[in-house]
Amino acid sequence: MANPFDVQRSDGGTSLAIRGSLNINTAPALAEEIDKILATKPKQVTVELGELDLIDSSGVAALVKLYKGVRHSGGNVTMNGARDQPLAIFKLLRMDKVFNL
Amino acid sequence: MAASAAPIRLSVPGTLRYRGIAVRLVAEAARLVSGSARHDPKDPFANDVRDPFDMAVVSAFAEIFNNVAIHAYQRKGDGTIEIAITPTERELLIEMTDHGTTFDIDGVAPIPSDLDDASLPEGGMGIHIAKTMLDEMTYQPGPPNQWRLRKVLQTDAVSNGRIDRG
Repeated sequence: MANPFDVQRSDGGTSLAIRGSLNINTAPALAEEIDKILATKPKQVTVELGELDLIDSSGVAALVKLYKGVRHSGGNVTMNGARDQPLAIFKLLRMDKVFNL
Repeated sequence: MAASAAPIRLSVPGTLRYRGIAVRLVAEAARLVSGSARHDPKDPFANDVRDPFDMAVVSAFAEIFNNVAIHAYQRKGDGTIEIAITPTERELLIEMTDHGTTFDIDGVAPIPSDLDDASLPEGGMGIHIAKTMLDEMTYQPGPPNQWRLRKVLQTDAVSNGRIDRG
């Protein structure tokens, strides 16, 4: 099964695009990638959520780990494009304001 | 749709490997109640659910399935999850039975009301998502353990949920 994410790194920062379903079966692979991202102590991480169809609490936990890790090392995380079910979940958990969705 | 006399039944091994099958069945059952169409009718296996009713049902069910596989069966899958889905004109009822370890639902910490960087939770969100998405959620410790999830068709997908210990 292909991972539901792509990572691109440039001088301007790291871009993480997540698509399809981010759930308890797919989030562990993303968490491993997040560890690699955090190891670089990026100043800017942009997360594109426009093609993300479904998320569960495991997927949310992975994104929280990314957000906290980047912020802890002095960087910034921007999340874009959340819609439908993922946006509803972030709102339900009151994370939409923290993530500026 | 007329009231359904007999529930739709599915029994799967209690591991996350079978999560996708169960979630898709529940999504289709939700569509029977909501009358929604797939966003992409050419792709019957599309993940997306966009109708608020479907969204709430699928989100809640997926969290409880995760919970059973992880906590009741401790990722070993040495048992089954029996799922009975009853769609009617106005609501969907999902009953789940497992024969695993009892879950301490009262031990789940609430989500903080005011979140900031420090208080963002990294766990314990699944039960909160499920109970908030549903109109009723009960858990009866076993054996067997029994979950009862009920969602009423309405315009607002996210209703004020409540959780009762049966």
